[in-house]
Amino acid sequence: MPDLQRILHVEDDPSIQAVAKIALEAVGGFQVLSCSSGQDALDQLQGFAPDFILLDVMMPNMNGPQTLARIARLIDINHVPVVFMTAKVQPAEIAHYRSLGARDVIIKPFDPMQLAAQVRKIWSQVHE
Amino acid sequence: MSKGDTAANTLQQHLQQLSDAFALRLQEELPALGQSAERLLQIADPQEQVQQLQSLRDQLHKLAGTAGTFGFSSLGQRARELELDADQWLHTLQQEQQGLQAFSHSLQLLAKQEFQSDPKQMPAPQKAPLTKPMQSTRRIYILEDQLAIGENMRQTLNNFGYQAEHFSRIAELDAALQQQLPDALIVDVNLPDESLTGLQYAAGLQERLAEPLPLLVITTQNDFATHLEAVRVGAMGFFTKPVDIPQLENRLERCFSQQQGEPYRVLVIDDDRELASRFSLILRGANMRVEMLYEPAEIFARMRDFNPEVILLDVNMPDCTGPELAQIIRMNDEWLRVPIIYLSAETDINRQMSALIKAGDDFVTKPISDNALVAAVFSRAQRARLLSNALSRDSLTGLLKHADIKEQAAVELERALRSGKPASVGMLDIDFFKKVNDNYGHAAGDNVIRALANLLRQRLRRIDSLGRYGGEEFLVVLPDCTAEQAWGVLDEIRQRFAELTFIASGSEFSVTLSAGVASTADTSNSASELLEKADQALYAAKHGGRNQVR
Repeated sequence: MPDLQRILHVEDDPSIQAVAKIALEAVGGFQVLSCSSGQDALDQLQGFAPDFILLDVMMPNMNGPQTLARIARLIDINHVPVVFMTAKVQPAEIAHYRSLGARDVIIKPFDPMQLAAQVRKIWSQVHE
Repeated sequence: MSKGDTAANTLQQHLQQLSDAFALRLQEELPALGQSAERLLQIADPQEQVQQLQSLRDQLHKLAGTAGTFGFSSLGQRARELELDADQWLHTLQQEQQGLQAFSHSLQLLAKQEFQSDPKQMPAPQKAPLTKPMQSTRRIYILEDQLAIGENMRQTLNNFGYQAEHFSRIAELDAALQQQLPDALIVDVNLPDESLTGLQYAAGLQERLAEPLPLLVITTQNDFATHLEAVRVGAMGFFTKPVDIPQLENRLERCFSQQQGEPYRVLVIDDDRELASRFSLILRGANMRVEMLYEPAEIFARMRDFNPEVILLDVNMPDCTGPELAQIIRMNDEWLRVPIIYLSAETDINRQMSALIKAGDDFVTKPISDNALVAAVFSRAQRARLLSNALSRDSLTGLLKHADIKEQAAVELERALRSGKPASVGMLDIDFFKKVNDNYGHAAGDNVIRALANLLRQRLRRIDSLGRYGGEEFLVVLPDCTAEQAWGVLDEIRQRFAELTFIASGSEFSVTLSAGVASTADTSNSASELLEKADQALYAAKHGGRNQVR
């Protein structure tokens, strides 16, 4: 299994951005780049070359699914898994996000102590 | 200790800081949200009103997604409920002003409440709507080709406070499932007009879903093969026609209460902070609530505030050893039931024994694998909770027993006197209950009692307390509720109860209840006086012809 190092986190809420960054860096030992908007993420995407992308669904201007569609034109999302983070928990919605190309969905609110483990689990499933 | 442990400690400090910052942010955001909710009602233009509602929905969505991460889980849950409420309004576009008003008021109340972060327990909300808000009702879909049976089931479940919908054809159900998934599904096995049986359909459906739906099966075929097939598609209940709906409702209730089991509370006592945080990380990973205690002297306050279900206790601590602390805990009768598991690097069996004999329950040696630790704590916690429930809850109804509900009434009376807000109590008694037992047998009688217990649970608020006072007598304690409001709530319950149909030995019957209400506004002194008044009112209801609330 390839090593998971760089995570791109796209989230417009600064508090959540901060807590996810700390959780992923301190617990998971990952390198995290936080972006505040879909456009910001697209601008940083190739320079940062993430192994894994965490994407908030509800964002102003360009929402999560729209950002995902643009990301998929720039990089191969079969190799760089994109995972949505959302408070919507209906199974039908989760199925919908998967059909858009998201690898998985992490439910908000997330437990900061568990976030890195959730990411690792998805990563290992991708590389099974 | 390892690098990971140190990181976890620093992380916790950081998280605390972020949580504090979030709390500050809430102080600005919540009042703004309350004002928006107020404005919602003042807007005359319907289109503008929809826009305002959409914006509120989005704000609530955000709050629902963030609050829990910073430890404000009850705020997050409440926001989520209101978000779903708003969503429902937007989808159905049935914006009756009255309902919208209720929504706006709930939201304004939310904005005014003070929220604390976990793990400190939330105080009971000072004001909550008197009946459960729309979104907390469970949605149940029924697939039944016989119209009369399906409609009857739908109506009865609605009386119990569920939001039930009935479908005669698979195609109709499929269309509804596309729109929204229910919390549970009830299917009839025999569908002569369809190409599939109900079970075959359910099997296909469960495969399509990311998470299986709680499923109940109704059928005329009471044979082993059908039972087996039902189990294989994940059915949690099996009922032969004619279906005793209160019994079916009781099973639904059980499915749901299993689903939302509270996490176990574990207290880790270890002077080695890094080890303690490591254990708590592992246990939190297994969905338990964990608090750590480094100073044995703080044990009393912590036991009281956190009320742990299991204690993990280090044997060797500098000021006070584990066995000494265990004995201190055991000196208090209230905490006798809490299992104590020693944690120690100690491998000397004899020393372990002497430690155990002094008040502990189990022993795990460090280093311990994550799984072994989780298993040891989980099994102890599970048994402790079962035992504790069995001791204080009535076995038939799961409600509080006589002494406990009486105590609750006293607590609420005191609170009402302090706060100046009225509390009410209601005494309910099933009419001619002896006749039910005599005519239909005790099993049928038990069924009636259980049905009333479930109905009460469904219709009352979370802050209300409910107890089985005597054989067929129930006591409800309603904080922050006037006598008129209590009367309204109980009268609604009375009507719904009378509409229930029970089935025993092939015949159908209905039962009524009488109730008496008393409020702290009319009684200033003691809880026993309050209960006495409620009892007198009940007596008047009985003599006034029964099936009424006084």
